[in-house]
Amino acid sequence: MKVLVAVKRVVDYNVKVRAKGDGSDVDLNNVKMAINPFCEIAVEEAVRLKEAGVASEVIAVSIGEKPCQEQIRTALALGADRGIHVETEGKVEPLVVAKLLKGVVDKEEPQLVILGKQSIDGDNNQTGQMLGALANMAQGTFASEVKVDGDKVNVTREVDGGLQTVSLKLPAIVTTDLRLNEPRYASLPNIMKAKKKQLDVFSPADLGVEVTSHIEQVKVEPPAERQAGIKVADVAELVDKLKNEAKVI
Amino acid sequence: MSDFPTAALDDLIACVGAERVLTDPESLQVYGRDWTRFHDPAPAAVVLPGSVEEVQAVVKAALAHQLALVPSGGRTGLSAGAVACAGEVVVALDRLNALSDFNPVDRTVRCGAGVVTASLQQFAEDRGLFYPVDFASSGSSQIGGNISTNAGGIKVIRHGMTRDWVAGLKLVTGTGELLDLNRGLIKNNAGYDLRQLVIGAEGTLGIVVEATMQLSRAPRDLAVMVLGVTDMGAVMSVLQAFQGSLDLEAFEFFSELALQKVVEHQDLQRPFETATPYYALLEFEQHSEAEMEQAMSLFEHCVEQGWVLDGVVSQSVAQAQSLWRLREDISETISRWTPYKNDIATTISRVPEFLAEVEAVVTEAYPDFEIVWFGHIGDGNVHLNVLKPDALPMDEFKARCGEVSRWVFEIVQRHGGSVSAEHGVGLLKKDYLHYSRSPLEIEIMRQIKRVFDPSGIMNPGKIFDA
Repeated sequence: MKVLVAVKRVVDYNVKVRAKGDGSDVDLNNVKMAINPFCEIAVEEAVRLKEAGVASEVIAVSIGEKPCQEQIRTALALGADRGIHVETEGKVEPLVVAKLLKGVVDKEEPQLVILGKQSIDGDNNQTGQMLGALANMAQGTFASEVKVDGDKVNVTREVDGGLQTVSLKLPAIVTTDLRLNEPRYASLPNIMKAKKKQLDVFSPADLGVEVTSHIEQVKVEPPAERQAGIKVADVAELVDKLKNEAKVI
Repeated sequence: MSDFPTAALDDLIACVGAERVLTDPESLQVYGRDWTRFHDPAPAAVVLPGSVEEVQAVVKAALAHQLALVPSGGRTGLSAGAVACAGEVVVALDRLNALSDFNPVDRTVRCGAGVVTASLQQFAEDRGLFYPVDFASSGSSQIGGNISTNAGGIKVIRHGMTRDWVAGLKLVTGTGELLDLNRGLIKNNAGYDLRQLVIGAEGTLGIVVEATMQLSRAPRDLAVMVLGVTDMGAVMSVLQAFQGSLDLEAFEFFSELALQKVVEHQDLQRPFETATPYYALLEFEQHSEAEMEQAMSLFEHCVEQGWVLDGVVSQSVAQAQSLWRLREDISETISRWTPYKNDIATTISRVPEFLAEVEAVVTEAYPDFEIVWFGHIGDGNVHLNVLKPDALPMDEFKARCGEVSRWVFEIVQRHGGSVSAEHGVGLLKKDYLHYSRSPLEIEIMRQIKRVFDPSGIMNPGKIFDA
């Protein structure tokens, strides 16, 4: 079984993000970039399927500018077999990403596509679902457990108030939640081996997709700074302030 | 407590206020000891002064009543330097915790003695700068204590010890006078640098009440590698190979047993499946891809030489932090076994020979004990921890460890090393000071103490007996 796994290059989640001075976008100058944490979980799951003998090949795909090949190499070091880079310019919207992924799906015909449930920069949580619609494939989103069973995949989903298990007919799409697995470290010998693994580069045109834009980013601003708290002397003062200043009681 | 004169207590209350003089049993327990557990805390009282003037007043009151004072910071010390077990008055500096007078040109900031190390690190980070002295207890330890113990930690290989970051300090001497030493100057060859005497004096010359700390530029994009190494000699070969072509921010090592304990008790992931006798953790800045490429080819070289069997490198800040925890959480993890800690050092070139000898003695002497090795091997400093078997009574454990310590320290002496690389001497290493210091050196230390503290009230009995 062939597994396709999507990885996105995003700002490292430990980095304190700053808005550009003119408010046009997030400042990415000299900022540490890393693989999107949900995508990392997706790679780990795919590699585990391979190690368990369920998957025969794991292909890591990334869409973006040239530097995102770094994240493909990371996925290859974690155990993916080969990489595909769809080279685009500037920002691409979830719908475009989904269309490009659909192009790759048509080319590779994987039985299972694993994606992160969302990326930590856009926070859209759309790509997996859109790909499901475009490719006419069953989808199991927010997975906390994935079990392939013959021509089906059982996905346990984290839903409000509990867990839901769905059984999907392959080929299918799975998007990962945080508790699905704990990704491994990339070992140095594997990082070196990853350098020699195949990485094909395509343009959107190669996949027959026209990159269009429907959304304009108007403004990016940091959240309002919280005001410093104060200490009150006693309960009476607290009640007084809640009543007369905060007007909450 | 019973023989503590009421008049003395009244005078202390007059200095800092009744609410800031604690005599309840719980406070005496808490403030009377550091992280060591070999002495029973028994201070007479704890005072919490809120200003330099109050510290001076407390010292003068102590002089009048001949009270011994023990300065106290975050109490994370490992040599019983801040232990009060003989009816002393603990002077806790927690309230002197102001950070002020930040100077972006000098890149300095004025710190009260009670500023927590992590607060200073955060203060620097918020201004795009860096305070590089860092260790596992930085969330509790205080600047005054860092200075008094000349704290080292995990970044010494690149940034030096606390000593290198003190641009100036204020000391209340044993006579209650205030010394303002060096005042932030970089160049100041006008006579003796008394500041340097105070740093690492463990409170025996007076109480550090304030310091002007130097800050540095923040490091960019740090990568962390953990390598599985075949033996101790190979650890040093790896160090030499990497140091030859990369500016290392850190080079730490730990043993398989240390890793096992940490992984088990802190719920962490092993860096890789291969188990090796030792692990090296190294950190370096990536200005460009060149550093990583260099590190990769060094790794290959180390594998070819048979020094290294496996390794990982962080791919994100989160991974870098998780890898650091494998090393940084060791102390906390093993604290449940009341470890007997040795903090020994020699010059880097002598480390392989030195460690081989120590290891031979220790494995022969402690066949039934678990030994956890870790430390700042890049500085020639190792922490040798002997874990107490649960069944063994503390006194017997202490006695056996003390016995073997002598053999270990004889090796230290033969290699011209130190019996206390970064933990200080306190009460714990006092009997062994002579392995590292000549009688004349110790005598001169005593004379210096008398000049700063003629009545001998400042942390008496620590480092040496007056």
